[in-house]
Amino acid sequence: MLPLSYAIRNLLRSKSRLAQTVGGSALVVLLVMAAVAINQGMSRVLSASGSPNNVILLGTGSEESVQRSEVSENTTGIASASIPGIQEILGVRAVSGEIHFMNYISSDDGSRAQALIRGVSPAILHVHPEVRLTQGRFPAAGEVMVGRLAWRNLGLKQDRLKIGTSITLNDQTLRVVGRFAAPGTVMESEIWAAIGDIRVVAQRETISCVVIRLEDPEDFSEVDLFAKQRLDLELSALRESDYYGRLSEFFSPLRAMIWITVSLIALGAVFGGIHTLYAAFASRVREMGTLQAIGFGRTTLLLSLLQESTLACLTGTLLASTLAMLLLDGLTVPFSIGTFSIEINSTVALIGILSGLLLGIIGVIPPAIRCLKPALPTALRS
Amino acid sequence: MMIQCQQVSKSYYKGSTVVTPLQALDLEVPKGEFLALMGPSGSGKTTLLNLLSGIDSPTSGSLIIAGANISTLKQRELTAWRAKHVGYIFQLYHLVPVLTAFENVELPLLLSGLSKAERRERVHTALKLVGLADRHDHTPAELSGGQEQRVAIARAIVADPPLLVADEPTGDLDRDSATRILELLRELGTEQSKTIVMVTHDARAAAAADRTLHLEKGQLLENLQTT
Repeated sequence: MLPLSYAIRNLLRSKSRLAQTVGGSALVVLLVMAAVAINQGMSRVLSASGSPNNVILLGTGSEESVQRSEVSENTTGIASASIPGIQEILGVRAVSGEIHFMNYISSDDGSRAQALIRGVSPAILHVHPEVRLTQGRFPAAGEVMVGRLAWRNLGLKQDRLKIGTSITLNDQTLRVVGRFAAPGTVMESEIWAAIGDIRVVAQRETISCVVIRLEDPEDFSEVDLFAKQRLDLELSALRESDYYGRLSEFFSPLRAMIWITVSLIALGAVFGGIHTLYAAFASRVREMGTLQAIGFGRTTLLLSLLQESTLACLTGTLLASTLAMLLLDGLTVPFSIGTFSIEINSTVALIGILSGLLLGIIGVIPPAIRCLKPALPTALRS
Repeated sequence: MMIQCQQVSKSYYKGSTVVTPLQALDLEVPKGEFLALMGPSGSGKTTLLNLLSGIDSPTSGSLIIAGANISTLKQRELTAWRAKHVGYIFQLYHLVPVLTAFENVELPLLLSGLSKAERRERVHTALKLVGLADRHDHTPAELSGGQEQRVAIARAIVADPPLLVADEPTGDLDRDSATRILELLRELGTEQSKTIVMVTHDARAAAAADRTLHLEKGQLLENLQTT
């Protein structure tokens, strides 16, 4: 086996080639890590948003979108009284009637943004125990409370949604009186207002859905049976986790696009890397011939060339990982129904390292074979 | 006998034409002989040298070197055989530019299974023998042509192979350096009983050998005793 120092010194033969290889692999690995982290973040926020204990009663035919759903307002009371297995908190059954409404809001400084507004009652805190009021209080009429990341999702400055500021929704001014957190869920990007206000603003007599929290997820069949028996209410029961699971599928083309883009860039970088190595190795055919003449086998030499390439690509991976930690980790990314945060965790890091290794291997094999292929007398003459 | 060639031929295709640089060649070289091969370009000198050193294989005939019939060896076996039996000296030295003189000389020993200390000892001895004991840490770029060739000779002898082959070892050197290299090769032949086969265009270099053979169109023309 040739010493590792041979591979390292060969890497340093041409600083520009080294920079090109390290930079190219760093770019690809960074993109792969970003794609994995974005996909993970989006999936994580959507799966965390749906609790297996929660069931959503939606209007029949609107199972794909809670915003389009229309449910009679008295469904909340009927469901609460009729369905067994509903969780009770301090004697109150966990049933929340809600209106989900997407519309433009204006902040104090006049900036406009499309926001997901949820008309709620305090019962929402029973069905979503992960929600924590971090500042202020629950909104009454003419007031709203905002999710911790709503400003990010709306593209506003953070102070535009601080307590005491106002937002305007369809000419109705609503004062921000509270902030809440619901870590890792889409709710953190929402604005919650009193359900009565949203009914007026949205000009609707119905609500969007009724969310029910069950003691045991197995009791879903009871809710499903209720929806099927009460044909007059025209309801469809969906586990909340299934609802967000479907939403996740809805975003799969977007995720596919991310992967296609990354793959194309990676392919370009791999071809660029192969081209660079072809040029670099072409000048070393004789050297490889000399080493073979001394007695080193082609496999040994191929391994040494692999060492060089993987070393360069792993250096790029290290650079990419550092950049990912510095630039991407903790970054919040808004998408249509919420905001997710990018997390550079061990899985992302591992995929990054594997990508770097793969780049090093794929990139070196064609030029290495070309470099080692000539018959020995030809290689020595080159 | 160190080298026994019997009816050795080498041909290959160049496009659709068959080229035969060596044709039914017979040659015997006793152990410890310094043989020079001369001839015009394209006469088959380098082809013969490549066959003798196991760098190439004959198309037909038998090639027995140091008791082994290398014409029947497979590529992998030939590579392992070269490592033990042949030291190759090239016209343009062929040193690895990123390695120091010490590391270049050490290369053949990396295949020998010797310990690091043993390798260091042998490299030091080889470099001392070629008069470059003080140039361990110099890279090829920091050495003159003559010094580079001496490092290449040290690399060729460090694993103590019985056969040294040299392809125009003085072809790229000035007169003084060439003289020193030829003296060194002669010493290796006489003092260390190495069998040396050297290809050269230079009659003065050939004069340093024990015997000179002339090749033309793939066949031996004459057999001259020079010493």
